[in-house]
Amino acid sequence: MSLAARFPATGPTGIDALLAELAAVPAGGPLTVGDERVIDFLSGVSKRLLDPAVTRRHPELGPLGFFLRRAELLRALPAPADGRRQPRGLIFHVPPANVDTIFAYSWALAALTGNHNVVRLSARAAGAAEAVLAALNEALAGAHPAIGQTQRIVTYGHDAEVTERLSAACDLRVIWGGDRAVNDVRRHPIRPLARDLTFPDRASFAAVSVPGWAAADHDARRAAAAAFAADAYWFDQAACASPRAVYWIGPDLAAARARAEFDALLAAAVRDRGWAIEPAMAVQNRVGAYGAAADGTATAIGFVSDMVTTLDLAVPAAYPRARLGTGVFAHATLARLTDLAGVVDRRDQTLTYFGFSAEELRDLATALAGRGIDRIVPFGAALSFSPVWDGYDLPREFTKIMTIR
Amino acid sequence: MSVTAEGVFGRAQADKEAWLLPELTGLIEHHRAHCPPYARILDAIGHRPGTPYAAVADLPWLPVRLFKTHELKSIGDGEVVKTLSSSGTTGAGVSRVFLDRAAATAQTRALSRTMRAVLGPARLPMMIVDSRSIITDRTAYSARGAGVLGMATLGRDHVWVLDERGEPDLPAIRDFLARHGQAPFLIFGFTFLVWRFLYEPAAAAGFDLSHGVLVHSGGWKRLAAAAVDGVEFRRRFADGTGLRRIHNFYGMVEQIGTIFLEGPEGGSLYCPDFADVVIRDPATWREAPAGTPGLIEVVSTLPTSHPGHVLLTEDLGVVHGVDDGDWPGKRFSVLGRLPRAEARGCSDTIGRGGAA
Repeated sequence: MSLAARFPATGPTGIDALLAELAAVPAGGPLTVGDERVIDFLSGVSKRLLDPAVTRRHPELGPLGFFLRRAELLRALPAPADGRRQPRGLIFHVPPANVDTIFAYSWALAALTGNHNVVRLSARAAGAAEAVLAALNEALAGAHPAIGQTQRIVTYGHDAEVTERLSAACDLRVIWGGDRAVNDVRRHPIRPLARDLTFPDRASFAAVSVPGWAAADHDARRAAAAAFAADAYWFDQAACASPRAVYWIGPDLAAARARAEFDALLAAAVRDRGWAIEPAMAVQNRVGAYGAAADGTATAIGFVSDMVTTLDLAVPAAYPRARLGTGVFAHATLARLTDLAGVVDRRDQTLTYFGFSAEELRDLATALAGRGIDRIVPFGAALSFSPVWDGYDLPREFTKIMTIR
Repeated sequence: MSVTAEGVFGRAQADKEAWLLPELTGLIEHHRAHCPPYARILDAIGHRPGTPYAAVADLPWLPVRLFKTHELKSIGDGEVVKTLSSSGTTGAGVSRVFLDRAAATAQTRALSRTMRAVLGPARLPMMIVDSRSIITDRTAYSARGAGVLGMATLGRDHVWVLDERGEPDLPAIRDFLARHGQAPFLIFGFTFLVWRFLYEPAAAAGFDLSHGVLVHSGGWKRLAAAAVDGVEFRRRFADGTGLRRIHNFYGMVEQIGTIFLEGPEGGSLYCPDFADVVIRDPATWREAPAGTPGLIEVVSTLPTSHPGHVLLTEDLGVVHGVDDGDWPGKRFSVLGRLPRAEARGCSDTIGRGGAA
C-alpha cells in the first residue's frame, strides 16, 4: 500500500499512522468552528496565492486566494457562533482529478469549521493543484502545530483498502467527480452516524433574454459574450457548471438575429483570449456534433469558427447533457423564461443568464418548484465558487448544531 | 466498380481522382438513402442530395470514432453476414462494422488483389508471427485475430511462429524453412511481434529468410524504446536474416479490405486504385500540402454496407509526393496517433479508468 503525504509533505506513510494521528487531540486543544489557528493559517495561504508570481502562472488561483482572506472566511462562518455550532469530526474528501482547485475550497471550508480533514488528491493532479500544495506547505512553517496534526492531503493509487479505511473512520465523506466516482466510493461503507455529501454528474445551460439583448448596447453584448466564453471555456466546457446549451427567450425572428450576433461575438471573444483548440479536441467536437445529428438531437450543425460549433436542437427540451466537446453549444428558442420548466430535470445545476429582471428569474424559480437547477447566476459567474454549492450550504453541512436548553 | 485487372497500383493521381470522385459521390447518395443517421448528419452539415463535388477532398467525411459511438449501417439487420469489431488503443469503446454478403466478398477480393502486387499470383507458404490461440480462443477474439484471419487466406501451409505459451517455436520455424525456405514464402504479423519474436530469434539462430516476403502492420511505438524505425527495421532484417522484401501496411477495420501498402523501396505507403488519402490540417480541416503533416482521411469505394467510404482517422500522417515513387499516386507515411486531449471536468476523478 503506497500512501504519500502531500500536506504536510512528509512523504510515504501508512494508513494506521495517518488515522492515529488524525484521531489525536491537537496541540492547544480541539479545533472549534472559526478556530483562530485555522484562520491564521488560511490567511497565510491566501497571501501566498495572491502573490503576483503565482497568479500570473495560475490565474485560477486568484479567486481561491481571495476566498481565503480573513474577511471572506469570517463571512463564510455560519451562525450561531456561540459554541452551539460544532465540527462534525473527521471529513474525508474525494475531489475530482482535473478541476485543480475544487479540493482546496471544499477542504478550506471544512477546516474553517473546525474539522479534521483528509483529502485524497489524484497523483495526476498537476499545475494549479501543485501550486496550491506548495502554498499550503510554505504557510505551514509559520502555522500553529495543530494545523499539521489535523489537516492532511494524501495521494494513493488504486488502493481500495485505503479508501475503505478512510471511509470507515470518517464522520462525513465528500465525494466530487460524477456518478461513477460516487458509486465507486459508495461501495465502501461509512459508519452508521456518518453521512455522504455527493456531487454527481450535473449539466448546465444558459438563457438569454432576446428583448434584454436588444436593449443592451454593443459593449454590453461584447462583454456578455466574453463572460460566457469564460464560463464555457475555462474548464474546456467540461465542468458541471459550464453551459452546454443556450436558450433564447423571445420571438423567433429576433432570437435568430441575436443568436447570429452572439455567435460571432463569442468566436471573437475566444480568439481575443488567445485560446486555441488541440487537434484531438477538434476531432472530438466533430464526433460529438455529428453524433448529435445522427441521433436526431440536432437538425443543423454550424461551424462558426474553429473554436465555436453550434447545434440547432430538434426538440428544445432535449439538450445534450453529456459533454460533446469544447465549444459545442446547442441552441433553441423558447417564448417565455418559464418554458424552461419543461427543459429542466434533477441533473441540471447552473443556469447562467443575460438580460433578465430579478422578477423574471424569481418567477422561473417558482415554476421550477425544486425539480432542478441549484444556481441562477449571471454570465461570467458560472465557475465562481460559493460556500453554497449544488444547493448545499457547505459550512452548515460541515457542522452540526448542539441543542442547549 | 472494377479495379484494373493486372494490379491495383496502376492509376496516376489525376486518373484515380477522376475515377474515384463519381464512385464516391455515388456512395454518398447510396448511404444517404440507406443509412438514416448518416443522412441526418449530411443534412445537418448542409450537404443536400445532389450536391456537386469538384474534388475528393471536398467530400463530407465522418470521424472514424463515430463507429464506436453509433451503429451506422446501410443494410437491414437480416442482411448482416459479418459484424466486425475493433477496440481502439484508447479503450474508448468498440467500433462495429456491419457487412452484407456483397461487401464481405468485395473486401476479401480487394485485399487479395492488393497483396498480389507484392506476392504475385500464386498462393505462398505462410509464416504467421502470432500464436494459433489468437484465432482459436473465442474469448480473446480481437482485431488482431481478425487481421490474422483475413491475411491467412492469402497463404497456404501455415506455420505459427509462437507456441501456445507465446514463445517462439524454433523447431517449427526450422521445419518450415527446410520445406519452403528456398522459394518465395509469405511472412505476416504485427510489427512489434515480428521484431521481437521473429527478427531477434532468427538473427540469433542464423535463419535464412532471404526468400521471404514480409507484410506487417501495427505502428512503431513499442519499438521506439529499442530505437527501431522503418529504416532500421529493414536494415537489420536484411543484415541479420537476408530478408529484403518488406512491406508495411496501414488499414483499419472501418475500411476492411482496404490497405495502404509500402512500396518495394520502403519508406512510403501507397494507395490502391480504389482508395486514397487526404491529409487535413486539424485547425482548418483544409487539405494540407505535400510535406505538411496533418490528420489522415482515408477514402475507399469498398464500404457499401456501412458509410465508411470517407473517414477522418485520428492518425497523423504526411504525403511525401505524388506520382513520384515506386507506384503511381500519393505516397505517404503514418506518423503516429494524435495525442489524446487531456480530460477535464467534474466527472473525472481518480479511480476512473486508470490508464494514466
